[in-house]
Amino acid sequence: MQKLFESIKQGFIKTFIRDNRYKVFVQGFRNTVVITIAAAVIGILIGVIVSLIHSLADNARNKKSHTPGAVLITALDKLCAAYVAVMRGTPLAIQLMIMTFIVMGGFPNKVLVCCIAFGVNSGAYVSEVIRGGIASVDIGQTEAGRSLGLSELGTLRLIVLPQAIKNILPALCNEGIAVLKETSICGLISVVDLTRAGDLIRSRTMSPYFTLISVAVVYFILVFGLSKAVKKLERRLAQSDRH
Amino acid sequence: MIDIKGLCKDFGDLKVLKNIDLHIDKGERVVIIGPSGSGKSTLLRCMNLLETPTSGKVIFEGTDLTDIRTDLDKVRCKMGMVFQQFNLFPHKTILENMTLAPKYHKLMSDAEAKETAMRLLTRIGLADKANVYPSTLSGGQKQRVAIVRALAMGPDVMLFDEPTSALDPEMVGEVLELIKELADDGMTMAIVTHEMGFAREVGTRVLFMDEGEIAAENEPKAFFDKPENPRLKDFLSKVL
Repeated sequence: MQKLFESIKQGFIKTFIRDNRYKVFVQGFRNTVVITIAAAVIGILIGVIVSLIHSLADNARNKKSHTPGAVLITALDKLCAAYVAVMRGTPLAIQLMIMTFIVMGGFPNKVLVCCIAFGVNSGAYVSEVIRGGIASVDIGQTEAGRSLGLSELGTLRLIVLPQAIKNILPALCNEGIAVLKETSICGLISVVDLTRAGDLIRSRTMSPYFTLISVAVVYFILVFGLSKAVKKLERRLAQSDRH
Repeated sequence: MIDIKGLCKDFGDLKVLKNIDLHIDKGERVVIIGPSGSGKSTLLRCMNLLETPTSGKVIFEGTDLTDIRTDLDKVRCKMGMVFQQFNLFPHKTILENMTLAPKYHKLMSDAEAKETAMRLLTRIGLADKANVYPSTLSGGQKQRVAIVRALAMGPDVMLFDEPTSALDPEMVGEVLELIKELADDGMTMAIVTHEMGFAREVGTRVLFMDEGEIAAENEPKAFFDKPENPRLKDFLSKVL
């Protein structure tokens, strides 16, 4: 027993204390959090825009409208569909490398490149999540909104989206968790995120157990906390349905 | 008030409305009956362009609604609509349901909108429900709120799309009673319904729709007592 404690203590010192190695972890942790949050924000922005375009294009199609606006929105919608297909149809690791070495080749701030690559990828998934959420709201709600003279966007904003959000939020949370876990490939382009930090220390200390398990524990705590927080929010959102 | 000229509506190959001409005067209460699939709901929904006609014109108070330059949102403020499924907004309280559109259009200040809503809720005896969510109301209460929600906009005409079809039988009466009150106030209405007694009592004119056409129309008494159209006779013999 004492031996076990002693080895844990030694592992801890070797992994975190010696040569101020904890600083590498702190840097990695910070990068992971920054990239995840930035990517989530970018993803949500793109997702909202793409799903909005889709929703408007859907309406134009239903009405068989041929106004210049309708034609434009339909063309934009096709573009968005292609974007979603490409993002979902290619591996994220390749997307990250294409972003780093081709699209933003030579750009010095690699953390920012990660934020954009993950955000652009996530946007495709978020748009699908939002589209599903909007589709889950009864069409009668839209009709009631329109019949009261609300505009298309006004109905979406005041009537449909507030209801869709209940369906969107859990899926969005899962998407956020997926992004957090996906950022672990940042090491591919030499950005020191949490995973990369663990890997760097592991190669120094030659003791994989302590470093890798520690990194896994940190990820787990982040993911677990995130799911708990959203569950709570979900419950609050559901209140108007219940009482 | 409402002028429908040569209205056609296709859903794919299915011709739901075939060249409908209909004129509704101010103060008229036009009741539309007919078998399911006859196009009566579609006709009603074309009146405020919730359904876009394939061809033909819908003119309301001199404005051609089928003209793409028409600001439909503005026109719809003057046309209240009540749905079979109530369509109250579940994420808003009853009061918010009622003040949402008037505030959105800046027709009234917040205080005025609230005052109007409370006056209307008091009228239907639901003032105490102002701050609860729709899910706590019975079907009849929901539909009455839906009716006064439309009234809060101060419409010139009310369109009712089978307002009692989704209600439990014991709640039909309270909703019909409210519609009758509106009728007594002189509100112009178009009503799609399966309630024949109500059609007879409240309508100034009854239309019978069959296979996308207005097959018969008359004032209620003659319509029900001396039907001439064979398809109408057949229909009435089944529902009365």
